[in-house]
Amino acid sequence: MKKKILILPSIFFFLILSIFFYLLIIERNPSEIPSNLLNQKAPIFEAKSLFKNERFISSNELKNEIILVNFFASWCKPCRDEHAYIKRFSNEKGLKVIGINYKDNSKKAIEWLKNMGNPYKDILVDKNGKIAIDWGVYGIPETFIINSSGIIKYRHVGPITSKIYKKINLIIKQNE
Amino acid sequence: MTIYLGNLLLTLSLIFSISQFVFSKKNDLKFISITVIGLFICSFLSFIVLIYSHLVSDFTVLNVFQNSHTTKPLLYKISGVWGNHEGSLLLWILVLTIFNCFIFKLYNNNNSNFVSKTLQTQALITAGFILFTMLTSNPFQKMIPEQSNGLGFNPILQDPALAIHPPLLYIGYVGFSAAFSMSVATLSLENNQKIPWYSYMKPFVLTAWTFLTIGIALGAIWAYYELGWGGWWFWDPVENASFMPWLIGTALLHSLIIVEKRKSLMAWVLLLSILAFLLSVIGTFLVRSGILTSVHTFALDPSRGMYILIFTAILGGYSLILYGKKSKKYFDNSYFALFSKEGSILINNVLMTVTCATVFLGTIYPLIIEAFTNEKISVGEPYFNSTAIPIMMPAILVMGVGPLLAWNKEEKLKILKKIFPSLVLTIIMTILTFSIYQSYSFIGVIGIILAFWIISNNIIILIKKNKNYSIGMLTAHLGIGLLILGVTGSSNWQEEKIAKLKLNSSIQINKYNITFEEINEIKGPNYLAVRANFTVYDKNKNFITDLKPENRYYPISNIFTTEASIHTNLSRDLYIVLGEGNTNDGWVVKIYHNPLVIWIWIGAFIIFMGGILSINNNLKKITI
Repeated sequence: MKKKILILPSIFFFLILSIFFYLLIIERNPSEIPSNLLNQKAPIFEAKSLFKNERFISSNELKNEIILVNFFASWCKPCRDEHAYIKRFSNEKGLKVIGINYKDNSKKAIEWLKNMGNPYKDILVDKNGKIAIDWGVYGIPETFIINSSGIIKYRHVGPITSKIYKKINLIIKQNE
Repeated sequence: MTIYLGNLLLTLSLIFSISQFVFSKKNDLKFISITVIGLFICSFLSFIVLIYSHLVSDFTVLNVFQNSHTTKPLLYKISGVWGNHEGSLLLWILVLTIFNCFIFKLYNNNNSNFVSKTLQTQALITAGFILFTMLTSNPFQKMIPEQSNGLGFNPILQDPALAIHPPLLYIGYVGFSAAFSMSVATLSLENNQKIPWYSYMKPFVLTAWTFLTIGIALGAIWAYYELGWGGWWFWDPVENASFMPWLIGTALLHSLIIVEKRKSLMAWVLLLSILAFLLSVIGTFLVRSGILTSVHTFALDPSRGMYILIFTAILGGYSLILYGKKSKKYFDNSYFALFSKEGSILINNVLMTVTCATVFLGTIYPLIIEAFTNEKISVGEPYFNSTAIPIMMPAILVMGVGPLLAWNKEEKLKILKKIFPSLVLTIIMTILTFSIYQSYSFIGVIGIILAFWIISNNIIILIKKNKNYSIGMLTAHLGIGLLILGVTGSSNWQEEKIAKLKLNSSIQINKYNITFEEINEIKGPNYLAVRANFTVYDKNKNFITDLKPENRYYPISNIFTTEASIHTNLSRDLYIVLGEGNTNDGWVVKIYHNPLVIWIWIGAFIIFMGGILSINNNLKKITI
């Protein structure tokens, strides 16, 4: 057995470890998941509005301004955590915040919004999760940014944190 | 008070482990024995303190506040201690110190250098884990301000199988630490020719492997019953993290037999015992650093990740460089005949290692790609099913015949004579199975043939009561055969139906007719639920069973869970999950017909029994 071969395991080991090390130190977020919809037109849907007595037709609404679409539910704990950030977004000029109430009891959702405050311009009811399927949502909360021509520019899975909040703001500025 | 006491005991454990490191370097028996026992007592007491504070719901402890609640059932108050990251580390340390005592028991005049060197490495590992706990994940932290009740325990973890799953798994991981330390000791000592390090290593490896097997199986049982996805294995990073040490452990276990009999493959065994433990630690890193996303990830903190990574680098760097420098004298140029016991073990070895490398690659491939190209990809079931499974198939084929072969060399004609009865039995059983199931697929047929091949080989020897074979080995191999039977059946012939059902309507799956009878709201000890009732009849209108799946809501932790309802018999499981719905539109119902699932659990249990028999056998050998 040649002696050189014997150091191979340790070299291999350190190579893998340095990859781990690199991934730990760079600013990286495993829940930022690429979407097939990125840079595509937002899926078209029609839905009942939670408060308004009219149907929401996405092709009429998702255009002409930057829109933040947030999937949420009253039963989802992380949604509560990110709620403060959604409120901050709702105060920003030139941004429309739309909520999609995912697999929720409408009564509970209304109650929840009463307690927490309602930052959404409009809330659509996605009772059986059909809209979420079209958008490729697989866990809530999820947030999408759509530019003024109706194209998805960003997707975030999981609650918004201060870091993500800054990132989304940057993306909004770029698309203005 | 509990916080003060807990921290004191943890600090004492750290001091004892560091002193063990120092005294074992000097090989000072009196002081070593004090530190080994002191370390065990302190870590045991600190664990008791944490259990106590969970039991009495002491919400001044942050860990109790975050993970417990007064309404939680007693069993889950206890299992909640290791159901969270901080508490599980305390358990890990406790298991380490128990193994530490067992290693110390080996100490005698002839092997004192070897054992103290092993204890020295073991002390380093223990101190590393205690420091990690104290610095990044201390379970004894004060909750300010005081709270009247806790946040509750994730209800998805409230399951009997999961209550004992972590302890068993940790016995597995930590058992490999003993083999690791012994390997390091062997490599670093110059004059150890007379020390049978491989015989010392074997009971530890056997214990680790046996408990890892049953631990993984319980994890699969939990996933099957609790997640409500109709399956039991998802090639999730967390599952792979436990499967990789298992594969290497399997190779190690079998190679140790060759070392004992033929004094060959020593260098290989030394490497495997290092790798088995390193993979356990890397698995811990992958799971707990949040570097990968997984359905099971429960502790995300980059600072923890950095600590484990540095710790892994020290352990791995030291042991592997030592291996590179010192392993040369353990190489030999023995000749292995293909048709011999050692030949078959060698084939098994290569295939297990290749499977492990394949699983490892699949698990970290997304990370490698991200590091180099910044693109995110995901590697899923199709990759693992189409790579790992075909590699394991020949290993299973060899496994059937391997134990029958003689050492050194076997005549081919003799082999044929030996395997003839089991060959016939396999063919009969396979034909019988397919006349019942009448559903064919290439992989399915092969799987069934392999399963019966293993089962009949081992049953025939067991019936003959041939004393040349170890009963533990035969039992474990029989278990593997049964496990393969279950795995093949449930993964190849699973039927799935998803439908929206209204009350009093029915659906057909396989030969069963399932009727949606009623749906009610019920109240459990710490949850609310809707429970449906389905009646199941077979083709001939015979009543089979009632199935009652539930959707639970736990108000304290604000979590919804689905409780699948399952009817099991020896040939299949009927598995129903209740989805969303209401009385007007009907309810979404998922129904699975899973053939032969029960044999996976029976198989795993029989493997465990076989392992226990072998451990017992090997311990006897060591005391003589």
